[in-house]
Amino acid sequence: MQKSKKLVVLGHFGVGKTSLIRRFVSDVFSDNYKVTIGVHITKKVVEISAGNTVSLILWDLEGTDDITTIRNSYLLGTHGAVFVFDVTRPSTFQNLNQDLKVVSEKLPSVPMIVVGNKMDLVDAIDLKTVLGENNIAYDFLSSAKTGDSVEDLFYKMATLLQEDA
Amino acid sequence: MNEKDKIEILKDILFTDDREFEERISKKVEILERTLNERKKLSRKVHPIIEHELEEFTKSIPQTLGPTITATLKEEIKNHKDEVVDALYPVLGKMVKKYVAQEMKLLSEKIDGQLGFLKRWKRKIKSLFFGISEDQQLLDELSSAKIEQVLLIEKDSGILKAGFTKSKTIDEEMISGMFTAIKSFVEDAFNQRDQELESIEYENYQIHLQSFVTHYIAVVISGNYSLSSKNKLQDLIFDFYHGYMAMNLDLVFETLNAEKTVVPVDRRRLERKLAQSFGNAKI
Repeated sequence: MQKSKKLVVLGHFGVGKTSLIRRFVSDVFSDNYKVTIGVHITKKVVEISAGNTVSLILWDLEGTDDITTIRNSYLLGTHGAVFVFDVTRPSTFQNLNQDLKVVSEKLPSVPMIVVGNKMDLVDAIDLKTVLGENNIAYDFLSSAKTGDSVEDLFYKMATLLQEDA
Repeated sequence: MNEKDKIEILKDILFTDDREFEERISKKVEILERTLNERKKLSRKVHPIIEHELEEFTKSIPQTLGPTITATLKEEIKNHKDEVVDALYPVLGKMVKKYVAQEMKLLSEKIDGQLGFLKRWKRKIKSLFFGISEDQQLLDELSSAKIEQVLLIEKDSGILKAGFTKSKTIDEEMISGMFTAIKSFVEDAFNQRDQELESIEYENYQIHLQSFVTHYIAVVISGNYSLSSKNKLQDLIFDFYHGYMAMNLDLVFETLNAEKTVVPVDRRRLERKLAQSFGNAKI
Protein backbone atom coordinates (compact mmCIF):
# COMPACT_ATOMS: atom_id res chain seq x y z
CA MET A 1 0.00 0.00 0.00
CA GLN A 2 1.35 3.43 -0.98
CA LYS A 3 1.29 6.22 1.55
CA SER A 4 1.74 9.92 0.82
CA LYS A 5 3.93 11.93 3.15
CA LYS A 6 4.62 15.64 3.29
CA LEU A 7 8.32 16.40 3.50
CA VAL A 8 9.57 19.96 3.97
CA VAL A 9 13.07 20.95 2.87
CA LEU A 10 14.35 24.03 4.67
CA GLY A 11 17.50 26.02 5.37
CA HIS A 12 19.22 29.31 4.67
CA PHE A 13 19.34 31.08 1.28
CA GLY A 14 21.30 29.38 -1.48
CA VAL A 15 22.30 26.26 0.42
CA GLY A 16 21.09 24.05 -2.43
CA LYS A 17 17.65 22.87 -1.29
CA THR A 18 16.12 23.13 -4.76
CA SER A 19 19.20 21.56 -6.36
CA LEU A 20 19.02 18.59 -3.97
CA ILE A 21 15.34 18.07 -4.82
CA ARG A 22 15.96 18.44 -8.55
CA ARG A 23 18.79 15.94 -8.36
CA PHE A 24 16.60 13.51 -6.43
CA VAL A 25 13.40 13.91 -8.49
CA SER A 26 14.72 14.54 -12.01
CA ASP A 27 18.39 13.58 -11.67
CA VAL A 28 19.54 16.92 -13.06
CA PHE A 29 21.77 19.73 -11.80
CA SER A 30 22.24 23.30 -12.96
CA ASP A 31 24.76 25.91 -11.86
CA ASN A 32 22.23 28.67 -12.54
CA TYR A 33 20.90 29.82 -9.21
CA LYS A 34 17.23 30.76 -9.18
CA VAL A 35 15.84 31.84 -5.86
CA THR A 36 12.71 29.98 -4.68
CA ILE A 37 9.82 32.30 -3.94
CA GLY A 38 7.24 30.97 -1.52
CA VAL A 39 7.21 27.26 -2.02
CA HIS A 40 7.70 24.79 -4.83
CA ILE A 41 6.11 21.37 -4.70
CA THR A 42 7.29 18.18 -6.36
CA LYS A 43 6.72 14.51 -5.81
CA LYS A 44 8.66 11.27 -5.94
CA VAL A 45 7.63 7.76 -5.12
CA VAL A 46 10.30 5.85 -3.18
CA GLU A 47 10.27 2.09 -3.03
CA ILE A 48 11.26 0.94 0.45
CA SER A 49 10.92 -2.73 -0.29
CA ALA A 50 9.11 -4.84 -2.88
CA GLY A 51 5.56 -3.54 -3.15
CA ASN A 52 6.12 -1.14 -0.27
CA THR A 53 6.32 2.46 -1.45
CA VAL A 54 6.12 5.96 0.02
CA SER A 55 5.01 8.90 -2.07
CA LEU A 56 7.09 11.86 -0.93
CA ILE A 57 5.42 15.22 -1.50
CA LEU A 58 8.41 17.55 -1.32
CA TRP A 59 7.80 21.11 -0.16
CA ASP A 60 10.80 23.17 -1.16
CA LEU A 61 10.49 26.21 1.10
CA GLU A 62 12.10 29.52 0.22
CA GLY A 63 15.40 30.06 1.99
CA THR A 64 15.64 32.43 4.91
CA ASP A 65 18.50 33.75 7.00
CA ASP A 66 16.28 33.75 10.05
CA ILE A 67 14.68 30.35 10.56
CA THR A 68 12.13 31.82 12.98
CA THR A 69 10.50 33.66 10.05
CA ILE A 70 9.49 30.48 8.21
CA ARG A 71 5.77 30.63 7.43
CA ASN A 72 4.10 28.34 9.96
CA SER A 73 1.23 27.52 7.63
CA TYR A 74 3.70 25.84 5.25
CA LEU A 75 4.78 23.55 8.07
CA LEU A 76 1.30 22.38 9.06
CA GLY A 77 0.76 18.64 8.69
CA THR A 78 4.44 17.97 7.97
CA HIS A 79 5.50 14.35 8.29
CA GLY A 80 9.25 14.84 7.88
CA ALA A 81 11.85 17.60 7.50
CA VAL A 82 15.23 17.93 5.83
CA PHE A 83 17.39 20.81 7.09
CA VAL A 84 20.10 21.79 4.63
CA PHE A 85 23.22 23.88 5.24
CA ASP A 86 26.03 24.89 2.90
CA VAL A 87 29.40 23.45 3.93
CA THR A 88 31.22 26.27 2.09
CA ARG A 89 29.45 29.06 3.99
CA PRO A 90 29.95 29.01 7.77
CA SER A 91 27.13 31.55 8.16
CA THR A 92 24.69 28.78 7.22
CA PHE A 93 25.85 26.42 9.98
CA GLN A 94 27.37 28.63 12.66
CA ASN A 95 24.04 28.75 14.48
CA LEU A 96 22.91 25.32 13.34
CA ASN A 97 22.07 23.99 16.78
CA GLN A 98 19.96 27.05 17.51
CA ASP A 99 18.25 26.77 14.10
CA LEU A 100 17.51 23.09 14.66
CA LYS A 101 16.03 23.90 18.06
CA VAL A 102 13.67 26.42 16.41
CA VAL A 103 12.66 23.90 13.75
CA SER A 104 12.07 21.19 16.37
CA GLU A 105 9.82 23.55 18.29
CA LYS A 106 7.86 24.32 15.13
CA LEU A 107 7.74 20.64 14.16
CA PRO A 108 7.55 18.62 17.37
CA SER A 109 7.86 14.83 17.00
CA VAL A 110 8.64 15.12 13.31
CA PRO A 111 11.65 13.13 12.06
CA MET A 112 14.38 15.42 10.77
CA ILE A 113 17.53 14.87 8.75
CA VAL A 114 20.39 17.40 8.77
CA VAL A 115 22.37 17.68 5.54
CA GLY A 116 25.56 19.56 4.70
CA ASN A 117 25.44 20.25 0.96
CA LYS A 118 28.06 21.32 -1.67
CA MET A 119 30.47 18.69 -0.41
CA ASP A 120 32.17 18.64 -3.81
CA LEU A 121 33.63 22.11 -3.13
CA VAL A 122 35.60 21.31 0.02
CA ASP A 123 38.09 18.84 1.37
CA ALA A 124 36.19 16.16 3.31
CA ILE A 125 38.75 15.78 6.11
CA ASP A 126 39.11 19.53 6.68
CA LEU A 127 35.35 19.93 6.70
CA LYS A 128 34.79 17.20 9.25
CA THR A 129 37.38 18.85 11.49
CA VAL A 130 35.67 22.24 11.19
CA LEU A 131 32.23 20.78 11.85
CA GLY A 132 33.57 18.79 14.79
CA GLU A 133 35.20 21.88 16.27
CA ASN A 134 31.92 23.78 15.95
CA ASN A 135 30.00 20.92 17.53
CA ILE A 136 27.85 20.48 14.41
CA ALA A 137 26.02 17.18 14.20
CA TYR A 138 24.86 16.18 10.74
CA ASP A 139 23.31 13.10 9.16
CA PHE A 140 24.61 13.41 5.61
CA LEU A 141 27.20 15.36 3.67
CA SER A 142 25.89 15.62 0.14
CA SER A 143 26.51 17.15 -3.27
CA ALA A 144 23.61 17.97 -5.52
CA LYS A 145 26.19 18.54 -8.26
CA THR A 146 27.72 15.06 -8.19
CA GLY A 147 24.67 13.36 -6.68
CA ASP A 148 26.65 12.08 -3.68
CA SER A 149 24.37 10.95 -0.81
CA VAL A 150 21.28 12.59 -2.36
CA GLU A 151 19.41 9.36 -3.01
CA ASP A 152 20.54 8.00 0.37
CA LEU A 153 19.23 10.89 2.44
CA PHE A 154 15.78 10.85 0.88
CA TYR A 155 15.64 7.08 1.07
CA LYS A 156 16.55 7.31 4.76
CA MET A 157 13.75 9.84 5.27
CA ALA A 158 11.26 7.67 3.38
CA THR A 159 12.20 4.76 5.64
CA LEU A 160 11.74 6.88 8.77
CA LEU A 161 8.33 8.02 7.54
CA GLN A 162 7.34 4.47 6.70
CA GLU A 163 8.23 3.36 10.23
CA ASP A 164 6.46 6.37 11.65
CA ALA A 165 3.19 5.62 9.79
CA MET B 1 82.06 92.31 -19.09
CA ASN B 2 83.10 90.98 -22.43
CA GLU B 3 81.36 90.99 -25.74
CA LYS B 4 79.68 87.63 -25.23
CA ASP B 5 78.11 88.62 -21.93
CA LYS B 6 76.80 91.78 -23.45
CA ILE B 7 75.13 89.82 -26.22
CA GLU B 8 73.50 87.51 -23.66
CA ILE B 9 72.09 90.46 -21.72
CA LEU B 10 70.80 91.92 -24.94
CA LYS B 11 69.17 88.61 -25.88
CA ASP B 12 67.58 88.46 -22.47
CA ILE B 13 66.11 91.90 -22.92
CA LEU B 14 64.99 91.30 -26.49
CA PHE B 15 63.48 87.76 -26.09
CA THR B 16 61.81 87.97 -22.66
CA ASP B 17 58.33 87.97 -24.20
CA ASP B 18 59.14 85.08 -26.51
CA ARG B 19 60.46 82.99 -23.63
CA GLU B 20 57.39 83.57 -21.52
CA PHE B 21 55.23 82.65 -24.48
CA GLU B 22 57.23 79.47 -25.00
CA GLU B 23 56.88 78.52 -21.35
CA ARG B 24 53.11 79.00 -21.47
CA ILE B 25 52.89 76.85 -24.63
CA SER B 26 55.00 74.16 -23.02
CA LYS B 27 52.72 74.09 -19.93
CA LYS B 28 49.62 73.79 -22.11
CA VAL B 29 51.17 70.94 -24.08
CA GLU B 30 52.00 69.20 -20.82
CA ILE B 31 48.39 69.55 -19.58
CA LEU B 32 47.10 68.28 -22.92
CA GLU B 33 49.43 65.29 -22.79
CA ARG B 34 48.28 64.44 -19.27
CA THR B 35 44.64 64.71 -20.31
CA LEU B 36 45.23 62.46 -23.30
CA ASN B 37 47.17 59.85 -21.38
CA GLU B 38 44.97 59.66 -18.29
CA ARG B 39 41.75 57.78 -19.03
CA LYS B 40 39.75 59.47 -16.31
CA LYS B 41 40.65 62.98 -17.42
CA LEU B 42 40.12 62.15 -21.08
CA SER B 43 36.77 60.51 -20.43
CA ARG B 44 35.64 63.60 -18.50
CA LYS B 45 36.32 65.67 -21.60
CA VAL B 46 35.11 63.20 -24.22
CA HIS B 47 32.11 61.73 -22.43
CA PRO B 48 29.75 64.72 -22.90
CA ILE B 49 30.61 64.81 -26.62
CA ILE B 50 30.01 61.08 -27.09
CA GLU B 51 26.84 61.27 -25.07
CA HIS B 52 25.56 64.09 -27.21
CA GLU B 53 26.49 62.26 -30.40
CA LEU B 54 24.85 59.05 -29.17
CA GLU B 55 21.71 60.94 -28.32
CA GLU B 56 21.66 62.43 -31.78
CA PHE B 57 22.31 59.00 -33.28
CA THR B 58 19.49 57.39 -31.26
CA LYS B 59 17.13 60.12 -32.36
CA SER B 60 18.05 59.61 -35.98
CA ILE B 61 17.73 55.77 -35.91
CA PRO B 62 14.15 55.72 -37.22
CA GLN B 63 15.22 57.78 -40.22
CA THR B 64 18.62 56.25 -40.86
CA LEU B 65 18.32 52.56 -39.85
CA GLY B 66 14.52 52.21 -39.70
CA PRO B 67 13.98 51.32 -43.36
CA THR B 68 16.86 48.82 -43.33
CA ILE B 69 15.63 47.11 -40.12
CA THR B 70 12.05 46.93 -41.44
CA ALA B 71 13.22 45.47 -44.72
CA THR B 72 15.42 42.91 -42.95
CA LEU B 73 12.61 41.89 -40.59
CA LYS B 74 10.17 41.55 -43.47
CA GLU B 75 12.65 39.37 -45.34
CA GLU B 76 13.36 37.22 -42.25
CA ILE B 77 9.64 36.73 -41.51
CA LYS B 78 9.05 35.84 -45.17
CA ASN B 79 11.85 33.27 -45.10
CA HIS B 80 10.94 31.73 -41.71
CA LYS B 81 7.15 31.75 -41.65
CA ASP B 82 6.86 28.43 -39.81
CA GLU B 83 9.20 29.50 -37.01
CA VAL B 84 7.32 32.78 -36.58
CA VAL B 85 3.98 30.98 -36.42
CA ASP B 86 5.44 28.51 -33.94
CA ALA B 87 6.69 31.28 -31.70
CA LEU B 88 3.54 33.37 -31.83
CA TYR B 89 0.95 30.59 -31.82
CA PRO B 90 0.70 30.11 -28.04
CA VAL B 91 0.42 33.84 -27.38
CA LEU B 92 -1.99 34.57 -30.22
CA GLY B 93 -3.92 31.37 -29.58
CA LYS B 94 -4.55 32.39 -26.01
CA MET B 95 -5.52 35.92 -27.02
CA VAL B 96 -7.87 34.70 -29.72
CA LYS B 97 -9.39 32.09 -27.40
CA LYS B 98 -10.03 34.66 -24.72
CA TYR B 99 -11.38 37.16 -27.23
CA VAL B 100 -13.66 34.59 -28.87
CA ALA B 101 -14.94 33.36 -25.48
CA GLN B 102 -15.72 36.91 -24.45
CA GLU B 103 -17.35 37.76 -27.78
CA MET B 104 -19.41 34.57 -27.67
CA LYS B 105 -20.61 35.48 -24.21
CA LEU B 106 -21.58 38.95 -25.43
CA LEU B 107 -23.28 37.52 -28.52
CA SER B 108 -25.12 34.98 -26.42
CA GLU B 109 -26.34 37.75 -24.13
CA LYS B 110 -27.50 39.82 -27.12
CA ILE B 111 -29.34 36.88 -28.67
CA ASP B 112 -30.85 36.03 -25.32
CA GLY B 113 -32.08 39.60 -25.10
CA GLN B 114 -33.54 39.53 -28.60
CA LEU B 115 -35.12 36.08 -28.29
CA GLY B 116 -36.31 36.61 -24.75
CA PHE B 117 -39.90 36.90 -25.88
CA LEU B 118 -39.76 33.70 -27.99
CA LYS B 119 -37.90 31.85 -25.28
CA ARG B 120 -40.48 32.74 -22.70
CA TRP B 121 -43.19 31.20 -24.88
CA LYS B 122 -41.05 28.13 -25.54
CA ARG B 123 -40.58 27.64 -21.82
CA LYS B 124 -44.31 28.09 -21.17
CA ILE B 125 -45.15 25.38 -23.75
CA LYS B 126 -42.47 23.05 -22.37
CA SER B 127 -43.72 23.61 -18.87
CA LEU B 128 -47.29 22.85 -19.98
CA PHE B 129 -46.39 19.61 -21.78
CA PHE B 130 -43.51 18.25 -19.68
CA GLY B 131 -44.30 19.65 -16.26
CA ILE B 132 -40.89 21.27 -15.76
CA SER B 133 -41.30 24.65 -14.13
CA GLU B 134 -40.21 27.71 -16.07
CA ASP B 135 -37.82 28.71 -13.30
CA GLN B 136 -36.14 25.33 -13.49
CA GLN B 137 -35.80 25.58 -17.27
CA LEU B 138 -34.33 29.03 -16.97
CA LEU B 139 -31.77 27.78 -14.47
CA ASP B 140 -30.86 24.84 -16.72
CA GLU B 141 -30.31 27.16 -19.66
CA LEU B 142 -28.04 29.41 -17.71
CA SER B 143 -25.92 26.82 -15.97
CA SER B 144 -23.42 25.56 -18.46
CA ALA B 145 -20.59 25.08 -15.97
CA LYS B 146 -18.87 21.70 -16.02
CA ILE B 147 -16.94 19.89 -13.32
CA GLU B 148 -13.51 18.93 -14.63
CA GLN B 149 -11.73 17.71 -11.53
CA VAL B 150 -12.46 17.10 -7.86
CA LEU B 151 -9.82 16.65 -5.18
CA LEU B 152 -10.34 15.70 -1.55
CA ILE B 153 -7.37 17.15 0.30
CA GLU B 154 -6.16 16.95 3.89
CA LYS B 155 -6.22 20.55 5.07
CA ASP B 156 -2.91 20.96 6.89
CA SER B 157 -0.54 18.72 4.99
CA GLY B 158 -2.09 19.14 1.55
CA ILE B 159 -1.98 15.37 1.10
CA LEU B 160 -4.46 14.13 -1.49
CA LYS B 161 -6.97 11.66 -0.08
CA ALA B 162 -8.80 11.00 -3.33
CA GLY B 163 -9.19 12.54 -6.75
CA PHE B 164 -11.50 12.40 -9.70
CA THR B 165 -10.68 13.93 -13.06
CA LYS B 166 -12.26 14.02 -16.51
CA SER B 167 -9.17 15.15 -18.36
CA LYS B 168 -5.50 14.33 -17.90
CA THR B 169 -3.61 16.91 -15.84
CA ILE B 170 -0.26 16.98 -14.08
CA ASP B 171 0.14 14.87 -10.98
CA GLU B 172 -2.88 15.34 -8.70
CA GLU B 173 -0.79 15.08 -5.54
CA MET B 174 1.36 17.99 -6.69
CA ILE B 175 -1.74 20.03 -7.56
CA SER B 176 -3.14 19.33 -4.09
CA GLY B 177 0.09 20.48 -2.48
CA MET B 178 0.16 23.64 -4.56
CA PHE B 179 -3.49 24.49 -3.82
CA THR B 180 -2.75 24.05 -0.13
CA ALA B 181 0.34 26.25 -0.34
CA ILE B 182 -1.60 29.00 -2.17
CA LYS B 183 -4.45 28.70 0.31
CA SER B 184 -2.07 28.88 3.28
CA PHE B 185 -0.20 31.82 1.78
CA VAL B 186 -3.32 33.88 1.10
CA GLU B 187 -4.82 33.12 4.49
CA ASP B 188 -1.51 34.01 6.15
CA ALA B 189 -1.02 37.12 4.06
CA PHE B 190 -4.33 38.60 5.12
CA ASN B 191 -3.85 37.34 8.65
CA GLN B 192 -7.37 35.99 8.68
CA ARG B 193 -7.34 32.76 10.58
CA ASP B 194 -11.14 32.53 10.61
CA GLN B 195 -11.53 33.13 6.87
CA GLU B 196 -10.75 30.76 4.02
CA LEU B 197 -9.72 31.18 0.42
CA GLU B 198 -12.84 30.16 -1.49
CA SER B 199 -11.92 30.32 -5.13
CA ILE B 200 -9.14 30.78 -7.63
CA GLU B 201 -9.85 32.05 -11.14
CA TYR B 202 -7.69 30.80 -13.97
CA GLU B 203 -8.77 32.17 -17.37
CA ASN B 204 -11.55 29.80 -18.44
CA TYR B 205 -11.35 27.78 -15.26
CA GLN B 206 -12.58 28.45 -11.78
CA ILE B 207 -11.30 26.49 -8.81
CA HIS B 208 -13.81 26.26 -6.01
CA LEU B 209 -12.36 25.48 -2.60
CA GLN B 210 -14.74 24.24 0.07
CA SER B 211 -13.13 23.99 3.49
CA PHE B 212 -14.11 21.71 6.33
CA VAL B 213 -12.38 21.12 9.64
CA THR B 214 -9.77 18.56 8.68
CA HIS B 215 -10.14 18.46 4.89
CA TYR B 216 -11.10 20.66 1.99
CA ILE B 217 -12.45 19.87 -1.43
CA ALA B 218 -11.11 21.57 -4.55
CA VAL B 219 -13.32 21.49 -7.64
CA VAL B 220 -12.05 22.66 -11.02
CA ILE B 221 -14.90 24.05 -13.13
CA SER B 222 -14.95 25.14 -16.73
CA GLY B 223 -17.56 27.32 -18.40
CA ASN B 224 -19.93 29.85 -16.96
CA TYR B 225 -19.69 29.42 -13.22
CA SER B 226 -22.65 31.38 -11.92
CA LEU B 227 -24.04 31.78 -8.44
CA SER B 228 -26.65 29.10 -9.11
CA SER B 229 -23.86 26.71 -10.25
CA LYS B 230 -22.00 27.49 -7.05
CA ASN B 231 -25.05 26.67 -4.97
CA LYS B 232 -25.55 23.37 -6.78
CA LEU B 233 -21.89 22.51 -6.46
CA GLN B 234 -21.90 23.27 -2.74
CA ASP B 235 -24.88 20.95 -2.31
CA LEU B 236 -22.96 18.19 -4.11
CA ILE B 237 -19.88 18.81 -1.99
CA PHE B 238 -21.83 18.81 1.27
CA ASP B 239 -23.59 15.58 0.29
CA PHE B 240 -20.30 13.94 -0.61
CA TYR B 241 -18.56 15.13 2.54
CA HIS B 242 -21.44 13.99 4.69
CA GLY B 243 -21.06 10.53 3.13
CA TYR B 244 -17.30 10.64 3.63
CA MET B 245 -17.65 11.49 7.30
CA ALA B 246 -20.23 8.73 7.67
CA MET B 247 -17.76 6.27 6.14
CA ASN B 248 -15.13 7.43 8.64
CA LEU B 249 -17.54 7.08 11.54
CA ASP B 250 -18.48 3.58 10.39
CA LEU B 251 -14.81 2.68 10.38
CA VAL B 252 -14.25 4.17 13.82
CA PHE B 253 -17.13 2.10 15.22
CA GLU B 254 -15.91 -1.04 13.49
CA THR B 255 -12.46 -0.40 14.89
CA LEU B 256 -13.78 0.19 18.39
CA ASN B 257 -15.64 -3.08 18.34
CA ALA B 258 -12.66 -4.99 17.04
CA GLU B 259 -10.18 -3.13 19.28
CA LYS B 260 -7.96 -2.31 16.33
CA THR B 261 -6.27 0.88 15.22
CA VAL B 262 -8.31 3.20 13.00
CA VAL B 263 -8.01 2.29 9.34
CA PRO B 264 -8.42 5.19 6.95
CA VAL B 265 -11.06 5.00 4.24
CA ASP B 266 -9.74 3.08 1.25
CA ARG B 267 -8.68 5.52 -1.49
CA ARG B 268 -10.25 3.52 -4.30
CA ARG B 269 -13.56 3.43 -2.48
CA LEU B 270 -13.37 7.18 -2.00
CA GLU B 271 -12.55 7.76 -5.64
CA ARG B 272 -15.54 5.67 -6.69
CA LYS B 273 -17.70 7.83 -4.44
CA LEU B 274 -16.22 11.00 -5.93
CA ALA B 275 -16.94 9.76 -9.46
CA GLN B 276 -20.50 8.84 -8.46
CA SER B 277 -21.14 12.18 -6.83
CA PHE B 278 -19.48 14.48 -9.35
CA GLY B 279 -19.00 12.47 -12.56
CA ASN B 280 -22.34 13.18 -14.21
CA ALA B 281 -23.50 16.00 -12.01
CA LYS B 282 -24.91 19.05 -13.76
CA ILE B 283 -24.25 22.36 -12.10
